Amino acid sequence: MTAVIEVQDLTKTYKDKNALDRVTLSLEPGAIYGLLGRNGAGKTTLMSILTAQNFETSGTVRVFGEHPFENARVLNRTCFVRESQKYPDDATPRHAFAAARLFFPNWDQALADELIGEFQVPLKQRIKKLSRGQLSAVGVIIGLASRAEITFFDEPYLGLDAVARQIFYDRLLEDYAEHPRTVILSSHLIDEVANLIEKVIVIDDGRIILNEDTDAVRDRAVTVIGDAAKVDAWASGRDVLHRDALGNVASVTVLGRLSAAERAELADAGLDLAPVSLQQLVIRLSQKAGTPAETEEVR
Amino acid sequence: MRRIANVVRLQMINRQTFIWTPLIILVGATLLSVFVYAMIPVDTPKYGGAANAPLWYFLAIGIGAMTYTFPFSQALSITRREFFLGTMLTAVLASAFMGVLFLLGAGIEVATHGYGVNGYVFYLDWLWEAGPFGAFVVYFTLALGLFVLGFTGATIFKTWGLTVLTISWVVVALLLIGLVFLATRLGWWGGFWEGVMTLGALGLALWGLVVIAGLMGISFLAFRRATP
Amino acid sequence: MIEEGKPLFLQIAEQIEDSILDGSLTEEAQAPSTNELAAFYRINPATAAKGVTMLTDKGVLYKRRGIGMFVAAGAKDILLGERRAAFAERYIDPLLAEARTLGLDASDLAALLSERAARTEGTPA
Repeated sequence: MTAVIEVQDLTKTYKDKNALDRVTLSLEPGAIYGLLGRNGAGKTTLMSILTAQNFETSGTVRVFGEHPFENARVLNRTCFVRESQKYPDDATPRHAFAAARLFFPNWDQALADELIGEFQVPLKQRIKKLSRGQLSAVGVIIGLASRAEITFFDEPYLGLDAVARQIFYDRLLEDYAEHPRTVILSSHLIDEVANLIEKVIVIDDGRIILNEDTDAVRDRAVTVIGDAAKVDAWASGRDVLHRDALGNVASVTVLGRLSAAERAELADAGLDLAPVSLQQLVIRLSQKAGTPAETEEVR
Repeated sequence: MRRIANVVRLQMINRQTFIWTPLIILVGATLLSVFVYAMIPVDTPKYGGAANAPLWYFLAIGIGAMTYTFPFSQALSITRREFFLGTMLTAVLASAFMGVLFLLGAGIEVATHGYGVNGYVFYLDWLWEAGPFGAFVVYFTLALGLFVLGFTGATIFKTWGLTVLTISWVVVALLLIGLVFLATRLGWWGGFWEGVMTLGALGLALWGLVVIAGLMGISFLAFRRATP
Repeated sequence: MIEEGKPLFLQIAEQIEDSILDGSLTEEAQAPSTNELAAFYRINPATAAKGVTMLTDKGVLYKRRGIGMFVAAGAKDILLGERRAAFAERYIDPLLAEARTLGLDASDLAALLSERAARTEGTPA
């Protein structure tokens, strides 16, 4: 399958800092991608460049095989509503949706109406007077109802309470199942979206540090807990992501899938195993990428 | 083409911005002037500049088009070229609307002898030297000019920052001061005023359109690199 | 329901296998569709599809074109075979390890086993 987004050695420099540093990615169509990373890691910058809202300093960018800048043919198949999206002064949600309808060729008004009801968006109130949650809801509705072939959601949950977030996830999955498209979802709430995303792309300090199928990553790491001496002995020579200690008990998170024999060995030694959630894995990988392996003593 | 037309529709979705608010400002300013005229116990024709009120509003919406509507257009995946052309087209149409209002206002004034109090806001002699066409062009140019000025200023600000914007202003101001200085030193003023009188309001407005075209060019150059 | 540290599609497959083994999903019955699974577990349909594909490859499910996925004849036997083979590793080994920690030897374990079995099955060992 030809990749729908292809980026090679993409670099974006601001003054003396690289917001994006030689990013190379190839995304196939028809999947939900999770773009994960800390604040300022480069997620929004990447998505902006892919939609020509921002410009690369160097490297190649191809969306549907072409560069997106001033390219209506490519751009009208994409949708990117930013986290703090600006709307025309004095516009109401009704105006915003009417505008979206004009420009997205696949806009589904019926879907938009349903979502407006579910998120309880007040149609006739000025957008600048909406609460943070309602503002996010407007953006989310535009993204969902656009049915754009590539839809970006930039931290769409900000301001949405847990109920509204669940509505978003459910509706996203539902619509995606019936009308497949390419979705790129950036989020901090990794565990919440872990079950939605097929691929995990982790970006840290402008660099991609992980780009794999979610399922392949799920059992990628394990935490071993028990007597500190035994744990450290076992962990030596392995790729340690994180270590915690409380008195004589140490908890070490290690990269690597354990075989049955290894698990038995640990059980024999009286050491416990704990799974590592996707969120923990991403956090540890990010920390590791940023600084030398940390040790914490909790007394 | 269709997408550019859609940008015009986009700008017009909220009818207040380009239609109702300028209209209300104009009507309000006019009514205020009429009240004031009614209170002045003099019978000679009274002239006022209230018609300039909505024009400053066009400066504001020019700024707003760049500051708020442009980022929104980016979320709708509209290209910069489409947005620029569509927005300028909208400004032209809105300015033409203002021009028509100006003519209507003048028509009312002539028909009612200055609202019965011999007071005029639209039918100002100097503007009407070249007839209704001239008056229309003048008012149209002023409205469009202020819109483009606001839009260009906001674009320069967004793309190149406050420093560049300030420098541009300073440079323009210095150039103007420099010209005035030269004109005074070289005795150009006599010829200058003669030229102005010859051109008349219409002629000046036409030169204004040339300046506007120049501004549009500058703003498009900056606009191509603007980020929402 | 959904565990950490284990591929999601495997967990989905296991859930379906569990239903087949406990009889709630009988052979030749229609299995839940990918979209139904995705909606129920609130996961990506592609992941659900992967789980279903895995079961199809194993011969546990098969596709009736135009209708959907069905439980294959003999699926239960396939699964029983698999689970039995893994039984020792999954359950017995951890049991022995824990027993060792507690100082219980094999005969202690055997006695415990008989006692508990009698209680749950209601028949003497």
